[in-house]
Amino acid sequence: MIPQDIAHEPSWYESSARARIDGVLDPGSFTELLGPQCRIMSPHLALFDLPPAFDDGMIVGRGLLDGHPVAVAAQEGQFMGGTFAEVSGAKLVGLLRAAAASAGTSQTVSAVLLLLDTGGVRLQEANAGELAVSETIRAVLAVRQAGIPVIALIGGRAGAFGGGSLVASCCSRIVMTEQGRISVTGPEVIETNKGAEEFDSRDRALVWRVTGGRSRALLGGADRYIRGDVASFRAAARDRANPPAFDIDTMRAEQVRLEKRLERYGDCHDTPEIWARMNLPDPAGISEIDDAAFIERLAATGGAHDAR
Amino acid sequence: MRDWTKQRTERARRLEQAAPFATGKVVKADDVTALLQRVIRSGDRLCLEGDNQKQADFLARCLTRVDPATIHDLHIVQSGLVLPEHLDLFRLGIARKLDFSYSGPQSGAIARALDKGNIELGAIHTYIELFARYYVDLTPNVSLIAAVCADREGNLYTGPNTEDTPTIVEATAYKSGIVIAQANRIVDKVPRVDIPGDQVDFIVEAPEPFYVEPLFTRDPAAVTESQILMAMMALKGIYAEYQPKRLNHGIGFATAAIELLLPTYGEQLGMRGKVATHWALNPHPTLIPAIESGWVEQIHCFGSEVGMDGYMSARPDIYFIGKDGTLRSNRLLCQNAGLYACDMFIGATLQIDLAGNSSTVTPDRIAGFGGAPNMGSDAHGRRHVSEAWLKAGHEAAGGAGPLVRGRKLVVQMVETFGEGMKPAFVEELDSIALARKLGMPLSPVMIFGDDVTHIVTEEGIANLLLCRDADEVEQAIRGVAGYTPVGLARDRKKVEELRGRGVIRRPEDLGIDPLQANRNLLAARSIRDLVTWSDGLYAPPSKFRNW
Repeated sequence: MIPQDIAHEPSWYESSARARIDGVLDPGSFTELLGPQCRIMSPHLALFDLPPAFDDGMIVGRGLLDGHPVAVAAQEGQFMGGTFAEVSGAKLVGLLRAAAASAGTSQTVSAVLLLLDTGGVRLQEANAGELAVSETIRAVLAVRQAGIPVIALIGGRAGAFGGGSLVASCCSRIVMTEQGRISVTGPEVIETNKGAEEFDSRDRALVWRVTGGRSRALLGGADRYIRGDVASFRAAARDRANPPAFDIDTMRAEQVRLEKRLERYGDCHDTPEIWARMNLPDPAGISEIDDAAFIERLAATGGAHDAR
Repeated sequence: MRDWTKQRTERARRLEQAAPFATGKVVKADDVTALLQRVIRSGDRLCLEGDNQKQADFLARCLTRVDPATIHDLHIVQSGLVLPEHLDLFRLGIARKLDFSYSGPQSGAIARALDKGNIELGAIHTYIELFARYYVDLTPNVSLIAAVCADREGNLYTGPNTEDTPTIVEATAYKSGIVIAQANRIVDKVPRVDIPGDQVDFIVEAPEPFYVEPLFTRDPAAVTESQILMAMMALKGIYAEYQPKRLNHGIGFATAAIELLLPTYGEQLGMRGKVATHWALNPHPTLIPAIESGWVEQIHCFGSEVGMDGYMSARPDIYFIGKDGTLRSNRLLCQNAGLYACDMFIGATLQIDLAGNSSTVTPDRIAGFGGAPNMGSDAHGRRHVSEAWLKAGHEAAGGAGPLVRGRKLVVQMVETFGEGMKPAFVEELDSIALARKLGMPLSPVMIFGDDVTHIVTEEGIANLLLCRDADEVEQAIRGVAGYTPVGLARDRKKVEELRGRGVIRRPEDLGIDPLQANRNLLAARSIRDLVTWSDGLYAPPSKFRNW
């Protein structure tokens, strides 16, 4: 009786970070580093009378994907909004540096998977969090330079905001769902600074229309758009062949692409305007159609924006 | 000789004074305040239509602009005090006395105004109780109402959000009162006549459509596993046992969870067609999966819900739909249905005491009652039987007999700790302290303990029908009150004895593994899923979307 689109397979949006890791990797293959039993927790939260988490909301480790070793990091978006902070940041940076250092050794990994689910830097430990973001970016680039693809998987409740969006855009690939969101500045922050006329953060349709997966995929802010079930994320992670080159030509091409994008759409106020200008059929209906129809439409745009 | 037509004469006098501000019945928006100034007199009883959903908000704004030196001491008799303007009337000295049912967002402001003495409170009513008094001793002199559209004769289309309007207009128009309607549009022909034009004196096209609050939309994404566990217990321990076919649900998340479990867990239990087929219920979007799965025969609605109109229009076998193709709601009739024609009410509350009395009043908030006390009370005038009703009655009486009447099932679902980790179970209701402070002769209690039949928490179900004295009621309540101070103070031996008798039942007593209580059991896990279930007919308001 339940419509097929609501098939009760585990949903990425609803899953915890650990459930997502289990769903992406080969069953039983995950080995966690600095797991909750090590109790490496935030030294700062107690100051604010806030409860810490044994894993500081960051789960890192190694596992297998189709039998090939991969490194994985997952943020738990339900703990403190999946924030970048001192401990969680150090765990992520450590994993990335180890992955870079492993290149060419027997310990090498075939990819690093970043399961981002974050509102950005944790305000209670802002300086450490900002540093963690920049160290993460540097480490992501080091991994890519070592020839290992870094794949961002985005479809959690917190999206990828603030530093999370910057990290995502440094990855080899960004995989996204309808509910996933990417934006540097969060809707509430824009509203606070520029007023509700500029961006009404309570207008959730607007928030998703602008920051959500469909908008990002059509604009070339994400390379792949998938359905929101865990199995689709696993399928997307398996497809890690031929990552974009990490070289000056790619950077230049990206610069040109972004300049053109700004020129063509810079004066638009809402995404349907952009979609109309892209000559997409029924721009107002793009948010309404189901995933299968959207994926078809996305393919029809021929939109191979290799953002990197 | 006594003059028997004073009211009619007074009405004619007021209409004559108002005439310069109207062309026929049509008043320009800019002239409304001046018109009100002519048709309202100090001391009038006035109904400014506003309930928990739709609001005559433009007329409310105009009324706050009349001169308090000319018009003061109004007696406001309306079901909902919801807009800031409603409170402004008291602050500005335009109104003094208040009889109402529901306040919702203004519950804090009402408590403060009462405390300051700005409001002279008559009583907090249930909806039908206040409507009943419209016809006995609180008949409005003037009513300001809201419609979707009007023609120039004053015929009104109030549409899916008809709600209180026919009741208010009937009381006012047939007792020489004056009825003024704001309409979103004035048209040549209304799609259907909800209010006949001869009951309406003036119409005005409002600059903005009247406001409607989406009040019954519960986002499935916010349903917790603890609410799912409670819903499973209710389905297995109450729905399956008593098989209530006719019922009303409250608007909380736990009852939304029940609605979302009907097509999944309820189906597993083989309950489709045997329970929950006929409803007195607002258009809850979370009921869409059950309707689409063939659980529901028909639903009568108190009001409408933002985004549900298109879906209901396409399901006329389920809902009450006019010949024009849109829903007709009616709060009075639906409340009456909930009181007399339902076997069960199940809903949430904020506080429950040791006798099972429950209240949504806290020291700084007076939310009013709305319809809960009518839905959630045994109608002693009921004379027709149903199996669910008889079974409950026999349990209460300890046996059957020719003069043993039935009971309505009145179920309170509440998590042991509420918002901000406040215990839901208390030794004394906050409403008692409030009544003491404000000198009210009766504490505002939403549902009295003697009407409550079951309490469901995440710890279990307490069946108060099977309790034989006040001490057993107290221990049955303590026995499901979890780690609250009330729960910790239980008499363990007595609680185990009650459990042995089936008065208290834990998840394991019902064959429910709490680990089963998983969000994957929900027929819809997001608003988007509800849209899919409805085949795209449900159009949720933007604040509930994440796409």
